[in-house]
Amino acid sequence: MSNEVWIVADSKLDGSIRQVTFEALSEAREKIAGKLGGKLCGVLLGSGISSHAPELGEYGAEKVYVIDNELLKNFNTEAYTIALSELIKKHEPSIVIAGNTVFGQDYFPRVAARVGAGVTMDAIKIDVTDDNKLRIKRYSHSSKAIPTQVFHENYPMMTTVRPNSFKIIEDSKTPEIIDGGVEINPADVKMKIIELKTKESERPELAEAERVVSGGRGLSSEDNFRYVYELADILDAAAGATRAAVDAGYCPYDMQVGQTGKAVSPSLYVAIAISGSVQHFAGMGSSKVIVAINKDPEAPIFQKCDYGIVGDLFDVLPPFTQNVKTLVSEG
Amino acid sequence: MRILVIVSQTQDTEAKIEVVSSGDSIDVEGMKWVMNPYDEFAVEEAIQSKEKHGGEVVIIAMGPARALETIRQALAMGADSAVHISDDSFADSDSFATGKVIASEIKKLDEFDIIFTGMKIIDEESGQVGIHVAEELDIPHVSLVSKVVSIDPSGKRVVCQKEIDGGHVIVESPLPCLITCPDAMNEPRYASLPGIMKAKRKPLKTVTIADVKAEELGLTPQSLGKEGARVNTIEIKIPQIERKLRIIKGSAEPMVKGEEVASAARELVEVLREEAKVI
Ligand SMILES: Cc1cc2nc3c(=O)[nH]c(=O)nc-3n(C[C@H](O)[C@H](O)[C@H](O)COP(=O)(O)OP(=O)(O)OC[C@H]3O[C@@H](n4cnc5c(N)ncnc54)[C@H](O)[C@@H]3O)c2cc1C
Ligand SMILES: Nc1ncnc2c1ncn2[C@@H]1O[C@H](COP(=O)(O)O)[C@@H](O)[C@H]1O
Repeated sequence: MSNEVWIVADSKLDGSIRQVTFEALSEAREKIAGKLGGKLCGVLLGSGISSHAPELGEYGAEKVYVIDNELLKNFNTEAYTIALSELIKKHEPSIVIAGNTVFGQDYFPRVAARVGAGVTMDAIKIDVTDDNKLRIKRYSHSSKAIPTQVFHENYPMMTTVRPNSFKIIEDSKTPEIIDGGVEINPADVKMKIIELKTKESERPELAEAERVVSGGRGLSSEDNFRYVYELADILDAAAGATRAAVDAGYCPYDMQVGQTGKAVSPSLYVAIAISGSVQHFAGMGSSKVIVAINKDPEAPIFQKCDYGIVGDLFDVLPPFTQNVKTLVSEG
Repeated sequence: MRILVIVSQTQDTEAKIEVVSSGDSIDVEGMKWVMNPYDEFAVEEAIQSKEKHGGEVVIIAMGPARALETIRQALAMGADSAVHISDDSFADSDSFATGKVIASEIKKLDEFDIIFTGMKIIDEESGQVGIHVAEELDIPHVSLVSKVVSIDPSGKRVVCQKEIDGGHVIVESPLPCLITCPDAMNEPRYASLPGIMKAKRKPLKTVTIADVKAEELGLTPQSLGKEGARVNTIEIKIPQIERKLRIIKGSAEPMVKGEEVASAARELVEVLREEAKVI
């Protein structure tokens, strides 16, 4: 086994690399690679993505393993599982980390099972113990508990990390770029992506956002969600929602914040017409400042927020948004 | 069609969560145990698939005697039979060992077409067991399926929709295949009274460590239970965030009304700038 520390890049559909990858590189460099005395390496998997490899060097990767293969297009689970598993077997890194994105949640446990690794998901803290075992903290019990977990003798030690948990610190290196040299047999890829629909959004991505404005069932229509979007845009915030709002068709599923949906931890979370369920709080309860606007004084959210107004959103939001707008434009 | 559902019982996380005095596990004294909510969606999806395509739904659960309540609930919802893997040696096994044991029992069943399970368990939130089972059985998995678009039992294919950032994908997989279920993919039904009565007579097989033959799975007695886990919990903390709870209310009634609205809006923006310094 080598003592390399691998960060597997999370790519967006256009091939660009997600923030969480740079966060993981920055944190692993300081908290893990330094202590292990191991090389910090990037891993880049995908189709037509090679040109992005040097970007991983900007955050300290000394080596980047690249597998650029047509079969890895559109995040095919089977192809990714084969690619990363084979790469791990070939180079035997000691630690492998990726982002806890929709995609990371999908193929990372499968790779761990295939290579016999120990694995945890959605870590919010990472470092190593004195005897060089990976140690992580994460949320459990609908985010009401934070266990600390330490790995045993199963290698590699693998974890996904929650986006927006670590600071990005640049450390410019010119990485050695290595062809992963993994073949994927097309016959082993039995699943097919038969349609991929995406909508471009100008707003920041939820998991990465510094501010989030979310709406709940109380918005009562898709059209009314413009109240949420308008405030979000003025604050340069991401727009989120509860499952009740998504379920009712007021907004798309990828806006859902919570136990099932996205986990966010912004400095400001504005909850509009949201009751404050355990499941919603599981995804945003660690936000620094929580603001609630709700017409029900008994809504549970008023027991667990910082600031709030008991009022009808349709009365309160227009002047509130206007005041924010004035303030922001004054700088 | 033969449909399997892997279900588990979980601590009810709506309750207050406290840590035991040794500091490394959750106090389950007096805890309410429920069917893992995500598994309710899995059971519902299985029953709907059976209603459409015919066949049978088999429940598989691993856990102590109390897990029987969850199995009965699934049978009362409309599943046909169940396998209960119950032995104290399995208690606190990690996701790998759990996945291996469940997969080994599935291999002993007759052929099957599809497996449904929850996306994660709400207490431990590991989110791995289903995927480990799929790997162990060497079948594809599709995780976080928001909608099963179609199942073609004779053509042995399933088409699912899955939400991704900024959109969705439609995935086609050969059967057998394992699907993990988030919430909101359907409306789980309640167990009816006749359903509950019928559940008592439905076939239930109990499996113990002797039946599982752990050694053949490459699982020594040491690799089962808490001691054998690949990752150990050494400490649990309850996050404590003190919230300010500065709520602006109306004077006559709780809601701000009339002139109060504008001043409340102004006041809130002011504290967010001056005190919280977030805008
Ligand atoms: C397994 C499982 C997983 C789940 N996962 C998630 C998840 O990931 N995310 C999530 O959000 N939920 C999740 N839920 C659902 C969760 O339990 C709640 O049902 C949901 O969060 C409620 O959303 P809400 O607050 O918008 O709706 P409600 O609880 O109906 O609250 C609406 C609020 O709007 C207020 N309101 C109405 N009209 C107005 C108005 N004009 N002005 C001001 N206020 C108004 C009301 O007073 C009320 O408090 C999950 C549930 C289960 C079982
Ligand atoms: N002991 C168990 N018995 C049966 N199913 C389980 C067990 N543990 C987990 N599962 C299933 O695997 C899914 C994922 O659980 P987990 O990986 O523990 O978060 C759950 O929704 C359950 O359906």
